[in-house]
Amino acid sequence: MSAPAAAPAEAPARPVQVKLVLLGESAVGKSSVVLRFCQNDFQANKEPTIGAAFLTQRCRLEDKVIKFEIWDTAGQERFRSLSPMYYRNAQAAVVVYDVTKSASLEQAKTWVKELQRQANPNIVIALAGNKVDLVRPSSDSDEPSTPTSATSDDDEADDATATPEDDAAEGGDEEGAVAASESRRQVSREEAEEYAKECGLLFFETSAKTGEGVVEVFTEIAKKIPLDHILASTRGPGGAAGRGAGRGGPAAGGASVNLNEEESAKKDACAC
Amino acid sequence: MSSTLRRQQNKSYYVEPTKEDLFRLAFALPEGEEALGEVHAVLTLQGKQEAFSGKLYLSTSFLTFTSLDRRSCRLTLPLATVRRVEKLAPGQDGTIAGAFALSLTLFHGLRIVVQLNSLRPTNDAFCANLRTRLKASLPMMKALKPFSHTFFSEWYLSPDRELDGEAAAAKKQQDEKVGELISFDDEKGKGKEEEQREFTTEGDTGHGYHGGLGLIFKFPGDPRKLREKSKMKLWKEYLEQHGRNLTLIRYPSFTRLVLVGLPNRLRGEMWELTCGSMFLRLHNPGVYARLLKENAGRRSASTDDIEKDLHRSLPEYAAYQDKVGIDTMRRVLTAYSWSNPALGYCQAMNLITASFLIYMSEEQCFWCLTVLCDRLLPGYYSPSMYGTVLDQRVFEHLVQRCLPSIHDHFAEADVQLSVASLPWFLSLYISSLPMVFAFRIIDCFFLMGPKVLFQVGLAILKVNGPELLQTTDDGAFINVLKRYFATLGESAHPNSSDSRTRQITKFQELFVVAFREFAIITDETIASERKRFRAEVVISIETFAKRSAIRNLKDTGRLDKAQLGLAYDHFQLASLRSKEQARRPSAADALSPKPPNSTGASPRTPSSASFGGGSGPKDEEKVEERIDRKAFGRFLGDIASWARDEKLVKNGFHEHIDRQPVDHELVDRIFVYWDQSLSGALSFQDIVTGLDAVLFNDLMSNLAWLFNVHDSNHDGYLTKDEVLQVSESLLFIFRNEPGDRYLGSVSNLIQNLFEYAESTKPEENPPRSPSLGRSPDPSTGRPRANSIVSDNPHRPYLALATFRMCILADPLLEDFFESDLTNSWRLEVLIAEEKPKQPGAGGAVGGWWGGIVNAVMTDENKERLNRLADEVGKRLDIQTIEHRPSIGKLDAAAAAIEPQARDSLFSTSNRPPKQPASPEIPNPLSAAAMRMPAYPPTSNPWADASSSGSSSPNLGRHEIDVQAAASQALHRQQFVIDDVAEGDDEDYAGGEGDAELMNQVERMLVEDEAVTGKAAQSGQDLLKQDGQSLL
Ligand SMILES: Nc1nc2c(ncn2[C@@H]2O[C@H](COP(=O)(O)OP(=O)(O)O)[C@@H](O)[C@H]2O)c(=O)[nH]1
Ligand SMILES: [Mg+2]
Repeated sequence: MSAPAAAPAEAPARPVQVKLVLLGESAVGKSSVVLRFCQNDFQANKEPTIGAAFLTQRCRLEDKVIKFEIWDTAGQERFRSLSPMYYRNAQAAVVVYDVTKSASLEQAKTWVKELQRQANPNIVIALAGNKVDLVRPSSDSDEPSTPTSATSDDDEADDATATPEDDAAEGGDEEGAVAASESRRQVSREEAEEYAKECGLLFFETSAKTGEGVVEVFTEIAKKIPLDHILASTRGPGGAAGRGAGRGGPAAGGASVNLNEEESAKKDACAC
Repeated sequence: MSSTLRRQQNKSYYVEPTKEDLFRLAFALPEGEEALGEVHAVLTLQGKQEAFSGKLYLSTSFLTFTSLDRRSCRLTLPLATVRRVEKLAPGQDGTIAGAFALSLTLFHGLRIVVQLNSLRPTNDAFCANLRTRLKASLPMMKALKPFSHTFFSEWYLSPDRELDGEAAAAKKQQDEKVGELISFDDEKGKGKEEEQREFTTEGDTGHGYHGGLGLIFKFPGDPRKLREKSKMKLWKEYLEQHGRNLTLIRYPSFTRLVLVGLPNRLRGEMWELTCGSMFLRLHNPGVYARLLKENAGRRSASTDDIEKDLHRSLPEYAAYQDKVGIDTMRRVLTAYSWSNPALGYCQAMNLITASFLIYMSEEQCFWCLTVLCDRLLPGYYSPSMYGTVLDQRVFEHLVQRCLPSIHDHFAEADVQLSVASLPWFLSLYISSLPMVFAFRIIDCFFLMGPKVLFQVGLAILKVNGPELLQTTDDGAFINVLKRYFATLGESAHPNSSDSRTRQITKFQELFVVAFREFAIITDETIASERKRFRAEVVISIETFAKRSAIRNLKDTGRLDKAQLGLAYDHFQLASLRSKEQARRPSAADALSPKPPNSTGASPRTPSSASFGGGSGPKDEEKVEERIDRKAFGRFLGDIASWARDEKLVKNGFHEHIDRQPVDHELVDRIFVYWDQSLSGALSFQDIVTGLDAVLFNDLMSNLAWLFNVHDSNHDGYLTKDEVLQVSESLLFIFRNEPGDRYLGSVSNLIQNLFEYAESTKPEENPPRSPSLGRSPDPSTGRPRANSIVSDNPHRPYLALATFRMCILADPLLEDFFESDLTNSWRLEVLIAEEKPKQPGAGGAVGGWWGGIVNAVMTDENKERLNRLADEVGKRLDIQTIEHRPSIGKLDAAAAAIEPQARDSLFSTSNRPPKQPASPEIPNPLSAAAMRMPAYPPTSNPWADASSSGSSSPNLGRHEIDVQAAASQALHRQQFVIDDVAEGDDEDYAGGEGDAELMNQVERMLVEDEAVTGKAAQSGQDLLKQDGQSLL
């Protein structure tokens, strides 16, 4: 959507290119997350990924336009040795696991390790536990179809993420329903969050099916990336280099995002 | 890095094809076909003018022919299809007077005449062989008729088809039983095929021939645009004149017909004909159904992966939104995974299978997939994807050579070619191009082989050259191609004033560029390019695997980086050797035409170094390489000096060290002790943790380690049996030491252990606290009568403290635990090679042998050479074998001090006093003692080794020699690698300057002129036909 009113008119908004790669075990929902983000759509059966699929998506964050170049990789273990081809030079990575499959988190951890040693040293890594719709109280997962509305995709997506998140946070009030669906859960939010904190990763639980958390992943990544720095390095000197350096410096990598503070930011997020 | 490991690695990726392999490959013959003779020949087809000069080959059950240019005329003929052979009188049927000619009448009534032009004896021998083989093929003839009914072409050309509707329907009913494996139902077929009436003629699928899902769910593409009708007419003509399915002879027009695109209903059959899978299906009746039956209900990591992908394989095609299609796909993919468990399933195979199944039955598809994975694209889908990576490297190099400006631009802009081209090759373009176009590439791929993938790839880049030169990153590169692929069906020259030029589509243009301009890319080009990059690619894959394995360790213990690397190398070497051995027996019985897979392990013998523990799928378990007990024996033999026997073999010519891992219960125990997950196989993590507990030990920790290895139930006590076993283990470790001192020490130890254990043994109900209880001691839980308890061999008996005390009482043993044991573990790279030649070792014979060794010894043949020398030595009775000590502590002189120790062992006075009472306890010493070699001090070849190096007892002079040999061998090896990489390709592009390169390309062009001309010709024909006459 439109930039905040406070945004000065001076910036012609040259897009900042951000190369982002999705990694994780096969069938955890990487391609679905991308599809949700780029087209706000969900399809149960789609084209398979061989090697990697490439997509782009433009977003607005505050006064900047970001062009995400997304590499959605194939997940089978044997493709692993090919992955450096896709994550080289990447500024961001989303490592996806499936909250209903504990093995997929183990796999995600090996990806994180590999990225931290082999990839671009300043890479921003987000860990995403996908398919939370499967472990939500029935009210969410029973929704007949995906929330799509022609009027405003962005708002829709935002709402979709906000609502269930609140449910989860407050929890407790519908014990029975939660217990039933939570039984499919194999990775607790706490466990994954703790691990993410330890390793300095952004952390989200997402559902490509309902849209929950998907936009946030990309928003928070965009916020954490030293956009100005990238802008400066790609062509000519950009503004506010100092700020960019502060955000992107290695020290910043240690701080994980506090999810409770993001509400205000969401409104500005990704006017796709 | 050890050259042995490198060699083993290379072997695990690639085995140089033999001449026989190449012969089979050239004619798409099944495994096990042997070449039995060849003659120069001229082939003519009855009723045809053309005569093709070429070569006729006979193999076990095929007669094959190829014209001299290797493409104008080709024939692969199962002998069972030969009805009649006549020797023609000179001059008959247009043969030259005095020539030797045969007329062959084939199953379909076709008659071919071959005039044999070799020398008379060769011709005669060939004919004699042919007669024998024809007789042998008689049983197969019976199978021919039912088999021929599985072909669409058979039905299409049959007179039945011309019958009126009613008669055909009646006939149909009767035929319906045949198509059991073609799982489609008629109801559906009728409804969905309306638009294709003109081709389905009788409008249903119940004729017994094999067909694909397209018969029910329609074929992709507009049949009118595809000009199905005209194509079928042309094909009918061709098949009538040149034979069909099993007897089809490829004439030049065959290639042209394939190039314009196979008609949908014939496509499956032509695919299985051109790739040769038809012959596998013929030779392996029932194998596919059996695979499914025998593995029904089984699960594996592969079947799990397959399941994940079933619903995302060509989901836009109607059949795959339907249970019918999904089930079919599942059956084919799982059957293949069971037939080749070493490969299993790789993403992209789902797309390929889904595509094949549109045109083929399950069984046809299964064999086609087999040929694809095993023969046409070896290594593409294997767990390492070595073939894929290699061909990407080759493709990149071809771009550099053929399209230098694009290559240079990509290098400068840091654009990576493979991000686009990897899926092209891996999925045969299915994942990148609209289906109808991808299938036309596959038509050519099966006809002309893997070079087609390269030619098309180069053409894509060339056609898009101007735009590609504008791209600045991977993303832009992908987008240019995406746009191009989306418009392949559009005119290549939309603004041309000539209407015929306007009609040329981008896809046609692509084909012309691929097969005309890149006709220089031949099978030989691909072969030599692959050879050039093979070693490089293996190294990069292995380096990546090693780095990941080390990075993914949860706990590296105290091992440093170098030690982890060495541990990994040893781990892998052991695993590779086991795998190789597992492969060998299956290769031996390859003649029995049973297992469909030619490369991997045979279906029912999973390789010993299995993935994922091999014990069925555990959902949470990541696929991880593990070594089993047998491989662990090799591993231990490599790193623990006492776990191998080293024999110095002198065969009169030279000396070499023969290393063999030795099996013993101690090895079993260590294996179990290290197997933390109790999965029956050790992961790299298990190995590292295990090594951490032995490499850095001092006296006390070594004592505790050996004790714990023997304390099976981890209760802190050894039972009586275990006390005996620990002693036996020590004797095992010392078995090759010279003299009897260790024997004496151990026998004293046994005496002491039993004596002190008796006085310190725990009360009848021992404290259970120290029990870590992986497997609780069965005896401790049950209350027992005192008398039984004392005799129970499973009762806790000896504590660590007592064990320690007894060991420390003996200085020799104390020394052993203090340092020798720790030093006996070595991660250095061992090379099982000969000692550096000792001048005069074999006297006069050594002279000429030494010459041979110097002349012919390479890293590759060293083993064989040693074997040969041993054999010769044995015959000449000059071979001697001497065992090398493992600890090497005692020199000969020291060993001689107590020559009577051995006798004392058997004297009653030295026996443990309490032992004889229980007769069920075997004397652990007798057998071991008999194995002890007693070297006379002077002839001990190792004696000199230890006397010099007192400070580091394990590193005697000999060991240094081995290291020297090792480093020498390493040097030589590197040289050899360089040789292969550069020298062998010299004539191709080994030269330096660009000019030289261009010259070579020129030369290739000239050599290939015939081919180039022809390809260009067919390209133009293609344009003409596709653009006009077929319109
Ligand atoms: N319920 C649910 N299913 C999902 C979700 N995301 C993906 N899936 C399903 O999981 C399967 C694999 O998804 P895909 O995106 O292809 O996984 P990828 O291999 O990681 O790219 C598909 O059947 C999707 O429909 C999700 O958030 N919720
Ligand atoms: Mg995917």
